Amino acid sequence: MKVEGEYQFDGPREDVWELVRDPEVLATALPGTQSLDQVGDNEYEGAMNVRIGPVGGEFSGKVLISDEQPPESLTMTVEGKGKPGFINGSGDVNLIDQGDGTTLMKYEGELQIGGRLASVGQRLLDTTSKSMIRQGLDALNNALSARMAAKSTGEEVEYTAPSESQFAASVAKDMAGEMLTPSRIIWIGVAAIVTIAILAAIIMSIGGG
Amino acid sequence: MAKKFIGKRIRRIEDPRLLTGQALFVDDVEIPGMLHAAFVRSDYAHAHLKSIDVSAARERPGVVAIFTAEDMGDDWEPGPPLVSPPPTVKDVLFNSRTQVPLVKDKVRHAGEAIAVVIAESRYIAEDAVEDIYVDLEPLEAVVDLKKALKPESVLVHDDLDSNLAAHLVQEKGDYAAAREQADLIVKRRIVIDRGAAAAMENRGIVAHWEPKSQHLTVWDTTQAPIPIRNGLAARLGLSEYQVRVVAPFVGGGFGPKMMMFYAEEMVIPWLSLKLARPIKWIEDRRENFYVTTQEREQIHEAEMALTNDGRILGISDIFLHDSGAYDPYGLTIPLNTQCHAMGSYDVPNFYSDVKVVFTNKMITTPIRGAGRPQGIYLVERLLDLAAKELGINPVEIRRRNYIPPDAFPYDHEIIDQAFAPLIFDSGNYKPALEKAADMIGYDQFVKEEGPCLRAEGRHVGIGIVSFVETTGVGPYEGARVTVEASGKVNVATGVGTQGQGHFTSFAQVVAEQLGVEVSDVHLVTGDTAEFHWGTGTFASRGAVVAGNAIHASAMAVRGKVLKLASEVLEAPEDELEIENGMVRVADIPRLSISLGELAVLANPLRGAVEPGTEPGLEATAYFGPRYGGTAFGTHAMILEVDVETMMVEIKKYVVVEDCGTMLNPLILEGQIHGGVAMGIGNAYYEKLFYDENGQLLNASLADYLIPTATEVPRVDVGHEETKSPLNPLGAKGVGEAGTIPVPALFAQALENALPEYDLEILETPLSPNRLFELLYDK
Repeated sequence: MKVEGEYQFDGPREDVWELVRDPEVLATALPGTQSLDQVGDNEYEGAMNVRIGPVGGEFSGKVLISDEQPPESLTMTVEGKGKPGFINGSGDVNLIDQGDGTTLMKYEGELQIGGRLASVGQRLLDTTSKSMIRQGLDALNNALSARMAAKSTGEEVEYTAPSESQFAASVAKDMAGEMLTPSRIIWIGVAAIVTIAILAAIIMSIGGG
Repeated sequence: MAKKFIGKRIRRIEDPRLLTGQALFVDDVEIPGMLHAAFVRSDYAHAHLKSIDVSAARERPGVVAIFTAEDMGDDWEPGPPLVSPPPTVKDVLFNSRTQVPLVKDKVRHAGEAIAVVIAESRYIAEDAVEDIYVDLEPLEAVVDLKKALKPESVLVHDDLDSNLAAHLVQEKGDYAAAREQADLIVKRRIVIDRGAAAAMENRGIVAHWEPKSQHLTVWDTTQAPIPIRNGLAARLGLSEYQVRVVAPFVGGGFGPKMMMFYAEEMVIPWLSLKLARPIKWIEDRRENFYVTTQEREQIHEAEMALTNDGRILGISDIFLHDSGAYDPYGLTIPLNTQCHAMGSYDVPNFYSDVKVVFTNKMITTPIRGAGRPQGIYLVERLLDLAAKELGINPVEIRRRNYIPPDAFPYDHEIIDQAFAPLIFDSGNYKPALEKAADMIGYDQFVKEEGPCLRAEGRHVGIGIVSFVETTGVGPYEGARVTVEASGKVNVATGVGTQGQGHFTSFAQVVAEQLGVEVSDVHLVTGDTAEFHWGTGTFASRGAVVAGNAIHASAMAVRGKVLKLASEVLEAPEDELEIENGMVRVADIPRLSISLGELAVLANPLRGAVEPGTEPGLEATAYFGPRYGGTAFGTHAMILEVDVETMMVEIKKYVVVEDCGTMLNPLILEGQIHGGVAMGIGNAYYEKLFYDENGQLLNASLADYLIPTATEVPRVDVGHEETKSPLNPLGAKGVGEAGTIPVPALFAQALENALPEYDLEILETPLSPNRLFELLYDK
């Protein structure tokens, strides 16, 4: 599966780079991460809970950073394995200084997925992975804002990473959004209201009898 | 003499048991002390097995044993080939590589079994499977058929020079010369993808070794209990009499249950002996998607040479066939494809070259149709395209090319799946076509209804295609028929039953000879303790081969009944008749004796049975056809496409079937209905998606769509009856017929429904998504 996209960070490139290379921040940015430990210069090991549709479970794996050119680009290689299957992949991350104090991140990579994750979760994989990446990057951007605020005021600004359940709820919302068009959502809403009204009428008439 | 039972629409006598849950299926077998198995399977399609760590799983309470390939020691060996390559074609290349019980060094398809856990319950076994750590070093997967044959391709079997499993060329006449004379050449690439059989009941096996009696009983969802028994005895070093294999009621076979030996079929009985305990393994649905055999993947470079008036001069077909990771089933599927690529037509020149390819996907073996749908798809598609170019109506171009009725037996000059000469025994194709055209209202639709609907902006199309089905191949089947003292009749035959209605149709064959009620005939199928000669239920052969064996046994018993009755009643045999369980002298009804009384007389407790005679009213007989009879027919349908959603609605579906003598038209129509439903899946819903890494992406019934009651229309069935000269009943098979032409029919009807899109369909299965792409992503 191909993964690619871009994301705009509201901060300068050096700060974004620092953030991306900080395992502690990375761990909080991807809820479900149980641990992420540095085991070598550019190597990390960790564990993460992943749920895709009906398939979920803990993955353990390695992340390797290579071809590092601070603060411009790096290559990330991921190997994960768990009861629901495996995820292997590698991708390139590029940071582009926009010249206005913001930074554009471009990423592209290939993911290989196998086992139950592929066979049962496939239908939901694309949406789920996009959603997970977007939220992870949002969380990073929030962390970035917090750091920058701290820098300017000199005070520590508390940054709260999203919890696993907030994260899951958000993924579910993204998936529903993709499956239902706005007009359908309105109609479902209308249908729900009508149904409730009818039920209320029935209950009242029973009560009245 | 008018038939009393054969050909009657008698309701299936087995259904009350099936419908009320009183029938035995493998998973119903419960034995005290029975253990349960679960398999550790590979997530990768292609990988080196480096190590397995079972230590954590061994610690889990309730786990009895864990076995890997290493633990099997010298008993580890690949499965025996099920079908050998054809000996009668020259220069045939065949590399036999058969499946393994447990992976020893290299994984060759996703889901392949690596280890087995035996535990007190399936729950514990499944949990223990997750405790096992398997270190696999992934390799590049071989998935695409064309890439697989490139010299730089990774190899599925490292000891071979390439991924070529087999190569076979069959020829008739001189295609190159025919091509020179042709007015029109239609040349296309046709791609056919994989599907699953998706039987309602998954596979399952219970093995019970009893050390004290030194006897092994195996309940297996197989279509071939007798070969399984013989193979198990050989593998386990037992006498065939020490092994009993029972194929009880089976919830759908469709071919994959003819495959043997599956890894689990080798491992579970072996383990029962090893542990001296009964062991059960029932396949779950996900396993069924991964490790039950699949079919149909082929890529054809096909062409048809024709004259200006639409006569076929020749067909050439160069194709690749996907064997999957191993090739235990030999060349059955590609041979069937070759044998059906000329369809119902008089094709004087034919050239067919097949390369069978190893890939890192599940093994392919026959699924209902078994290579025939591919051949029929090819010939019917090419004929449709030719008809379009020549401006000839699809009905007319078929009529012009049929093998004429006086040309039978028609020798195709190539060999069939049983390595016998491909000879069509009998046929009369035009009446089936004309009846189908009439039933669907072809002319009326083309002239009036179609244009009218089109004017309303609707996308409604009609299709009509013909097919043939080689059926009822040898080698043989047998049966034993016994009249019991109660007057009831017992029949035992070797073929297993997976829902075909054998209990009724076979009883009708017996009742015809012995004058008993169908409900008084008790049938035992698929139990080697009852009958242990024969091969199995496949290739649409049950009614033909087992049916004729039963007919022969019943005739022999009838002879014994008449002989004995003639002595007792002091009347010549030719004056006797059998009716309602009584033998009577035709003109003197009160002079009679019941079958039960005769059975007692034939098996006396005192006195002497004369030398040279046998006790009892019993006979065993066998039937083996010289070659298989060829059934045929025409399917037609009207469908409507919703061009927004690309969903189709089948508005009318008509089948005219000719399978020779009909034993029971009701059962026959049921077979057709089921076959058409499966064909609709093959045509528009059911496709197994493998990614470039050999991962199966839709291994659940939520993602792999089988047609349901809302997609399957009412199917009107018309009959023709051209009896086969190859067997006394005059029967031909019908089990696969319904499935075979449906994808070809769908393609024609879709093209007809969407004339403004200039659509040319050269692939199957389709889906709403795929149709959308074909229409808009040009």
